[in-house]
Amino acid sequence: MTEMKPARKVALRVIVNGEEHEALVEPRRLLVDLLRDDLGLTGTHIGCEHGVCGACTVLLDGQTVRSCLLFAVQAKGHSVMTVEGLADADGSLHPIQAAFMAEHGLQCGFCTPGFLMTAYELLRANPAPDEEEIRAAISGNLCRCTGYQNIVRSVRAAAETMAAAAATPAVPA
Amino acid sequence: MVVEERTWVGKSVARREDPSILAGRGVYIDDIKLPGMLHAAVLRSPHAHARINSIDTSAAKQVPGVVAVLTGPAALEFVTPMPAFCAEPVVQHAIAIDRVRFVGEAVAAVAATSRYAAEDACQQISVEYEPLPALSTPAEALRPDAPKLHETLQSNVVFERTLRFGDVAGAFSSAAHIVKRSLRWHRMGAQPIETAGAVASFDPYSATMTVWSNTNMYNYIPWVFANLLKVPTNRLKMIPCLVGGSFGSKHLITKCFSIAGALTKATGKPVKFIEDRIDNLAANDNVGPDRFYDTELAVAEDGTFLGLRLNIVDDYGAYFQFAQGQHGNALSQPTGPYRIGALEYGIQCVLTNKVQQGFFRGAGSDHGNFALERLVDAAADELHIDAAELRRKNFIRPEQFPYRTPTGNVYDSGNYGRVLDRALAESNLAHWRREQERLRQEGRYIGIGLASCQERSAYSATEWWFWYDKPPLPLTTTPESVKLSIDAFGGFLLTLGCPFWGNSPSTVAAQVVAEEFGIDPATIAIYYADSQSGALSAGPGGSRLTVMLSGAARGASRRVKEKMFRIAAHLLEAAPSDLELRDGTVRVKGAPNRAMSIADVALKAHLFKLDIPADEESGLAATFTYDHPFATRPSDDRTDMGAFYPIVSHACHVPVVEVDPETGRVTVLDYLAVNDCGTVMNPKLLEGQVVGGIAQGIGAALLEEYVYDEHGQLATSTFMDYLLPTAFDVPPSVRVVHEETPSPYTEFGVKGGGEGGRMVAPVALASAVEDALRPFGVSVNELPMTPERIVSWIEASRP
Amino acid sequence: MKPPAFDYVAAHSLDEAIARLAERGSAAKVLAGGQSLVPLLNMRLAGPAVLVDINDIEGLDGLAAWDGGVTIGALVRQSTLERANLLRQRMPLLVEAAGLVGHPAIRHRGTVGGSLAHADPAAELPAAMVALEAEVVVRSQRGARVLSALELSTGYLTTALADDELLTEIRVPGVPPGTGSAFLEMARRAGDFAVCGTAALVTLNSSGRIDRVRIALCGVANGPIRARQVEQALVGESPSGPAVATAAQRVLDEIDPPSDIHGSAAYRRKLAVVMTRRAIELAGQRAGARHD
Repeated sequence: MTEMKPARKVALRVIVNGEEHEALVEPRRLLVDLLRDDLGLTGTHIGCEHGVCGACTVLLDGQTVRSCLLFAVQAKGHSVMTVEGLADADGSLHPIQAAFMAEHGLQCGFCTPGFLMTAYELLRANPAPDEEEIRAAISGNLCRCTGYQNIVRSVRAAAETMAAAAATPAVPA
Repeated sequence: MVVEERTWVGKSVARREDPSILAGRGVYIDDIKLPGMLHAAVLRSPHAHARINSIDTSAAKQVPGVVAVLTGPAALEFVTPMPAFCAEPVVQHAIAIDRVRFVGEAVAAVAATSRYAAEDACQQISVEYEPLPALSTPAEALRPDAPKLHETLQSNVVFERTLRFGDVAGAFSSAAHIVKRSLRWHRMGAQPIETAGAVASFDPYSATMTVWSNTNMYNYIPWVFANLLKVPTNRLKMIPCLVGGSFGSKHLITKCFSIAGALTKATGKPVKFIEDRIDNLAANDNVGPDRFYDTELAVAEDGTFLGLRLNIVDDYGAYFQFAQGQHGNALSQPTGPYRIGALEYGIQCVLTNKVQQGFFRGAGSDHGNFALERLVDAAADELHIDAAELRRKNFIRPEQFPYRTPTGNVYDSGNYGRVLDRALAESNLAHWRREQERLRQEGRYIGIGLASCQERSAYSATEWWFWYDKPPLPLTTTPESVKLSIDAFGGFLLTLGCPFWGNSPSTVAAQVVAEEFGIDPATIAIYYADSQSGALSAGPGGSRLTVMLSGAARGASRRVKEKMFRIAAHLLEAAPSDLELRDGTVRVKGAPNRAMSIADVALKAHLFKLDIPADEESGLAATFTYDHPFATRPSDDRTDMGAFYPIVSHACHVPVVEVDPETGRVTVLDYLAVNDCGTVMNPKLLEGQVVGGIAQGIGAALLEEYVYDEHGQLATSTFMDYLLPTAFDVPPSVRVVHEETPSPYTEFGVKGGGEGGRMVAPVALASAVEDALRPFGVSVNELPMTPERIVSWIEASRP
Repeated sequence: MKPPAFDYVAAHSLDEAIARLAERGSAAKVLAGGQSLVPLLNMRLAGPAVLVDINDIEGLDGLAAWDGGVTIGALVRQSTLERANLLRQRMPLLVEAAGLVGHPAIRHRGTVGGSLAHADPAAELPAAMVALEAEVVVRSQRGARVLSALELSTGYLTTALADDELLTEIRVPGVPPGTGSAFLEMARRAGDFAVCGTAALVTLNSSGRIDRVRIALCGVANGPIRARQVEQALVGESPSGPAVATAAQRVLDEIDPPSDIHGSAAYRRKLAVVMTRRAIELAGQRAGARHD
């Protein structure tokens, strides 16, 4: 019987949604648990803990990753974006979130944060994706409620809204 | 018939649930955090069948952070054995006592300061098992030398019965043709992306237990949970969270309650137990039916259906907690949309070493649709009658509604021919048939499927027990409640007794209240009541919620409006019947200057007692319990099950698939679903339910299966092996088209549609695959149609 | 599903990494992308005492032209492979194979070296590397050695790597001009492991006949298979005629498929013949297109 000793913790600094955080964690602590429990950002969800469902998807240095397959210590010195980083603090939704609402792209909402982060990455890299490209981008996220059709519509609608906003020059103050 | 002019009901009103959820602020059970809260993990049996000779938890207790380790016998100090709805003495414990009966059955539970530590402790628990022979199929369980899974039973057949309705013998003896099929639908489960979980907190000083969870039925049968947790029924408070999908799997999460409840009592601290994915796949009772059907359809020379025989062996797994509920459900519509007058329905419920059945979207009627529509397609083939015309010929006719089916259940309304016409017109059939011919020349095989099926909605509790002559719990109440209050300043507050499963109860209820009061639904605040509210609610499930919430919200609105009018009439010196509600004001008809705003009336009602009628109570609120609009008792002799699922939607699905005969791969190219769900409350929401259900149906048709090997080992314990459909598995376009035949029994004429997609898609896809493989002479009788099975069917059909 | 405790070392140089491996030997596991390793840890199917995190080591993620072919650092992410123009030009087979690995988020972290070192017999990249006759450079404190991709794989989830060795680089020789390639697989869903996958490289001569062909398969043995008997039967044949079907049958003598819930051995055998035939035909078509 292996003797269990208290694990040595590692100090880390990580930027999450633009804010710097410090934590002291066991090396085995998953990034998703750091975000949810240590930082109180419960918008990222746990669905499978083996990298299949995508509910835990966040951006690490701008790229989608499964936060259930990363240790918190691996985010040391890196930058993470979660769903909480999308909307403004005053209650106005990001265009991607607004599009999901307009197109009924969520039902129970549990998988939704993962899809939002995936859509965010897609539209930054490819502001005018076609249907095939949208499906390919979201193919790693499981949804058990919507059947995906409205999620694809939501991403397309978001692309259109964001393209229109980009085309309209901002009115100078 | 006058169609009411409606402002909100029938519109695709945007979902009010969405903004918080989208911002990441939705509170699901794993988001609940209490001071001092501990985390639980469960040690599970690696054996399908074994005696537990001893468990040594001493090393586990030494793991840093561990506060308690409970085995089954220890847990019995705090909780009872599992509640069961079956009449038979099938004893189950959330944590096994002396025997495990399926891989994944819990044998110990740990509470620690983190889930990590709790799992460390589980690894340190030493269990001495004595493996027993595992029964991995009903055939094995039925052998005379098979070990008995429960000593309290005579055999592994926990229940069997054959019911006959109408003149079955006559129908079959007079038939010109008897079409036969043996069918198989493998075990599948709900697999919501969020697992089940509970946070239980016991206060020994007030002897009260508080549980946050994602369960249903906390406002329906809360005493089930209270009894389990050994607290008085009036000292359990259950608080709902948002639910990340259920599909039937979270009606009664008694295992989670038992584990969290026992540990909170043992530790004196709140304890959170959230299933991880393996916990959920292996041991959550989210499993649908697992059936072997022997079926026969008696057909007259001209193609008229005379009688139906269904004889079913159903693999229930190791326990029987929910009894034969998924057969009660199937008796709502076994003869489908057809005028079949005679039915024999026999079931043999067999126990094996697998996780037990619970309820999964469709709840047995999905299997029933499969059996019947396969027979209908087979009849069309054997009699050389067009599949659509054979159906049309046998449909119940519009003038026959309300229609009493052989089992006694009633279908409220429908026009099945119209739905079929729409499906044939909009499915582009001629184009696809041309494509089919053209592609065959190239050695490619596409197929077009057709299925016309019932989608019963709004169940009555009688379906859970009427298979028994002497049911242990013959419930006849299936209620839904809401409370509507208007505060002193005119703010509308609606409290729902049901939880949120993703099917938009807030939006629907708000639409109804908005319609009744002529206000914007966005102004209504909505809350979800806990179990101490007294808001009797069976909650979602059985596609009931839109029907039942419509009734509850309308009923509560009417009560509040009546009181509002009585008070306004008094203040305006008119009779209540002289008043109308227009644009948010109560006014005397024909005298618009004699008016009060709703807010004015509310202020008086709350704060100015001496201004309102003397016999009126202060306040402006009403709770309304809407009971099932049409439910009757089964007859004592069970020749008539009564009306128990009479609000019946109907659909016709036309999928197009391509099958690669060399690899067995199936690609869904196109999908049309024509639905008649009565009056449509919110078209966008209904479409979402149908499309989501169709995706689950694609999963059932092609991908999903619990695989237990010959030793009862579960091969599909993760999402790597239990396969859920992804965005690439659904076709580029799923078109949902509505017909509306209102129900005469419900408010607004609405019917339920939540399960429909999954109830129809599997058999529609089976029909499409069979059509694609017609040149090979393949008959599809099994789900899921995996690529390997398809290749083997093609091989077996070769001359 | 939380992982068991382990000691953690973030290596900042190759020397540091191989020193740690030399110290801890079989008690240590290398953490690269983690997309295969961390699920095993979360499920407690593996419990290494030490994880040596190599993600911060500089110089292991280069992708460069090399003598007509490419060198790929072990830490190159699968998504980088998928998007690399250099590979699209020189060996599109790798781009095609990389695109079949899991899903975008998996590919952002998963590494080429990690895939080869993990050696899942159903994985696409090891088979593609075998078809391309790639070599891997492996380093330890004892020095460096070079193995062929085929030699690297020794069994189910096992490689020829010693406990103290780290795979650092993959060298893929250039592909002859006029070569077409294809990676086709049959998986239960897009992104799943292959039940059977076939990589084919077909080089045509000036008369449009097969001058040279290389075929490798995944999912049909306990590692990637090089189908040499099929290759031999195809030399001089047309890439689109009946000879391809006949040659593809020979793959049955070269594979020993496993049976699991996603495919029995018998089914995988059928698939192997079909996928081999189709991959050759498609690669041949693409070679023809390059010719024209």
